[in-house]
Amino acid sequence: MAPLKINFDKGTLILQNVPKPLQAQLADTHWDERTLTFRAPAYRYRQIISQLRAHDIPYQDTARQFTLEPFTLQKTTRPYSYQTEAIDAWHANGKRGVVSLPTGAGKTLIAILLIAEMQRPTLVHVPTIDLMHQWYTVLTEHFGQAVGLYGGGYHELETLTVTTYQSAVMHAPYYGNRFGLAIFDECHHLPGEQYQYAALSSIAPFRLGLTATPERVDGKETRLYALLGECCYEARVHELSGKTLSEYRVVTIAVEMEDTERVQYEEARRVYLTFLKQAKINMGTPRGWHTFLWKASQTEEGRAAFKAYLTQKQLSFASTTKREWVWKLIQRHCGDRILIFTQDNDTAYQLGTRFFLPVLTHQTKLKERNAFLNGFRDGTYSILVTSKVLNEGVDVPEANVAIIVSGSGSVREHVQRLGRILRKREGKQAVLYELISKQTGEHFVNKRRRQHHAYQSSRHTPCAVKPK
Amino acid sequence: MLTKNLLRYKIQNGRILPQFVNPADSQLLAIAEQLIAVFEAAPNKPRATLLETSKQIIDSTPGVPIVKRGLEKLLLDRTEFDTAPNEELIAFRQKLFTETSRLLSRETFPNYADYQLFVQAQFDEAELGTKLYADLPSCQPVLAFKTLSAERLLHRYNAAQVQGLLLHCNTLTLKLADSMTAELRQLFKYLRFHQLLCTIQRSGRHGDAPLQKQEKQNENLYRITVDGPLNLFYKTKRYGMNLANFFVALLHQPKWELTAELQFRNSQPYRLCLDESCGIKPISQQFLAYIPEDIQLFQAMLRNKTEAWDIRPGSQFLPLAGDFYCFPDYTLVHESGVSTAIELFHPWHQGHLIARLNTLAEQTCVPLILGVSKELEKKPFIAEALAASAYFSQFGFTFRDVPTMGSLLPILNSLVNQ
Repeated sequence: MAPLKINFDKGTLILQNVPKPLQAQLADTHWDERTLTFRAPAYRYRQIISQLRAHDIPYQDTARQFTLEPFTLQKTTRPYSYQTEAIDAWHANGKRGVVSLPTGAGKTLIAILLIAEMQRPTLVHVPTIDLMHQWYTVLTEHFGQAVGLYGGGYHELETLTVTTYQSAVMHAPYYGNRFGLAIFDECHHLPGEQYQYAALSSIAPFRLGLTATPERVDGKETRLYALLGECCYEARVHELSGKTLSEYRVVTIAVEMEDTERVQYEEARRVYLTFLKQAKINMGTPRGWHTFLWKASQTEEGRAAFKAYLTQKQLSFASTTKREWVWKLIQRHCGDRILIFTQDNDTAYQLGTRFFLPVLTHQTKLKERNAFLNGFRDGTYSILVTSKVLNEGVDVPEANVAIIVSGSGSVREHVQRLGRILRKREGKQAVLYELISKQTGEHFVNKRRRQHHAYQSSRHTPCAVKPK
Repeated sequence: MLTKNLLRYKIQNGRILPQFVNPADSQLLAIAEQLIAVFEAAPNKPRATLLETSKQIIDSTPGVPIVKRGLEKLLLDRTEFDTAPNEELIAFRQKLFTETSRLLSRETFPNYADYQLFVQAQFDEAELGTKLYADLPSCQPVLAFKTLSAERLLHRYNAAQVQGLLLHCNTLTLKLADSMTAELRQLFKYLRFHQLLCTIQRSGRHGDAPLQKQEKQNENLYRITVDGPLNLFYKTKRYGMNLANFFVALLHQPKWELTAELQFRNSQPYRLCLDESCGIKPISQQFLAYIPEDIQLFQAMLRNKTEAWDIRPGSQFLPLAGDFYCFPDYTLVHESGVSTAIELFHPWHQGHLIARLNTLAEQTCVPLILGVSKELEKKPFIAEALAASAYFSQFGFTFRDVPTMGSLLPILNSLVNQ
């Protein structure tokens, strides 16, 4: 009988000549009437090969298009003990799994050491273009060889390649059989409806997920563990604070709105809430927001309610008093390296224009984006205003002050923003300021996100003083 | 394509009913013309100005706002903006921010106004107001706009309504009747191009889902289920974009029916049923009469070598064993009346090639020659499959870019001799 054959096809595996007794046993393998072959999702590759070996069944594997690669570290960096523990835990977990460490604790170094140990072509997945370039720099420095980029206009595949999740979803059906090690940075994104196909369409037998916050509000971290392996190592921010992370404190500043803004806010909120009540919309339910959008688009009254919703939100996000507080904090931290975060681009550009500061958003072109980040790192620019692009991953160790002018209710977003200022430096004392508009929806949002352990274990200073 | 917030549909008994516009509605045509005129006059104007003017039309004309915003979106999709970095502004910002950072990190100011005055004294105040972030998307000028007629825009709108819904779909089922082979062939080319797979049933044949009695009587009726490789394992919307793009090809078929299951986030599934009576006109070009360059080259090469054979674009539709169908690329007719078809497999057709070799494994008299790209043959898996195929050894050849007569003629001659 002809030997069993395994081939890679558009993010799946095609199996031919599968012996009858084995047909029902191979992981996730089904007969495909469309092509008259057996087919399995690509991520089952390792499991299927293990099963064939266990049954001592000969096979021809043309799916795997990678071999050992002699990666040599050009730089030696001694890992902290917890980093070594994380590496050991990953090996013990069958060379797969998720490592959860706070931002600034050196997740990238763990990945680099594992790439060097595993000696397999490696594809690193990242959520943003900024992170793609950051990984590119770090990998080039550590391995001194060509590093490929896939995404953001680049289409270069090398044995070490960095790609965005978005690009991987589109292109993994073509190159998903060329990498033996798949690394997913900020891997809490992976269980997303589309992003999961980056992992599903790859045959990489060895997988590493890196994140500071594996838990998801939709509970889909179980999907994450199914695709990458269980969480094999976790350390929390307070366990490393002061040791490998900077000491930090969180200062919440409850800001009063100006009288005219307060009147506008109350009126807009009244219109919005009245509509919710009349249309019987419960914003606390998972469909609440979609129902509101839908119903608001149907009538003149609804459209007015939607406009009112935006007005009250904008007023609480970017009141005049908040701008005054930003100025006050800039002055208070003269000489420090400050990151100012906003919820939306408009507010970021308003602040940038008012205080003549560099603003980094997804609209910033690559060349200037690099110039802003490098300028901030080398001290040419002491303040950087940003909306969301610096929330995750981007390494700005010099930052020691963060001012959150506005944000979403997401715990993850705030933990990630806090993480931007936690990288350890000699004598560094990090401070995170949260500006919260008093007696607005922001107050409750702030209360909700404070339940995270990163907040509960920090030195927390509430402050409700009006700026002079 | 229209985004979810611009889709207009009703839900009745689990069915989703797109709210199409009437492409002959004079009021809507007039509005579409106004919007098109605004976009035609837009080159060199900034995006914000364009949007402001189109908003004036949307706000001041009668009709449903969401429809007009949808039309605006389709026109924006046909507009090219100048997104190149503005080096002059980048240099200006660099100079300004270096200075303000120096100021803010070295000294404190009694109040904000003092700081503002200090900066304005060093830089042109007017420039600070107008130039600082003058290259944001809202300021980007329009480079070009691909215009179209108002009626065509309304047809596009209706097609975009369906495409926007199909983004949320995992499988399509089509019923095609009275399609010519060439039209079917075009449809299947789109299918391959969009990396989709299908199962085809023809009336009167057996299958997992038997056709209705009246359907069996129609010899030219096909039921086609279209999805992607991973649909075998998951109910996934992974191929929603592919299916939405594929829909455009369906509009060229004379009689069609489409059934799709749609699921928006966190909602129950809905069914979309449409047929040609929805009246959406094709929005893409149909190339049935067009003779591609490679065919012309192929024809010229064949004529140079022999006059006995004539080559034509594939128009024969070959039913294969196991309810499978083949839409060959070319048909070759010998002066004696012998005819055969050629199906070419390019590097991106490996799955299809394997399927075809499997289908033909037991066949000996199908009038079909297989041409396989050498690029594809480089893959060991394919090379082995080709070597193991008795059919390919008799009726197959490999080629680099275009098939050559050297490899094809011996097979053709053997057919005549048989």
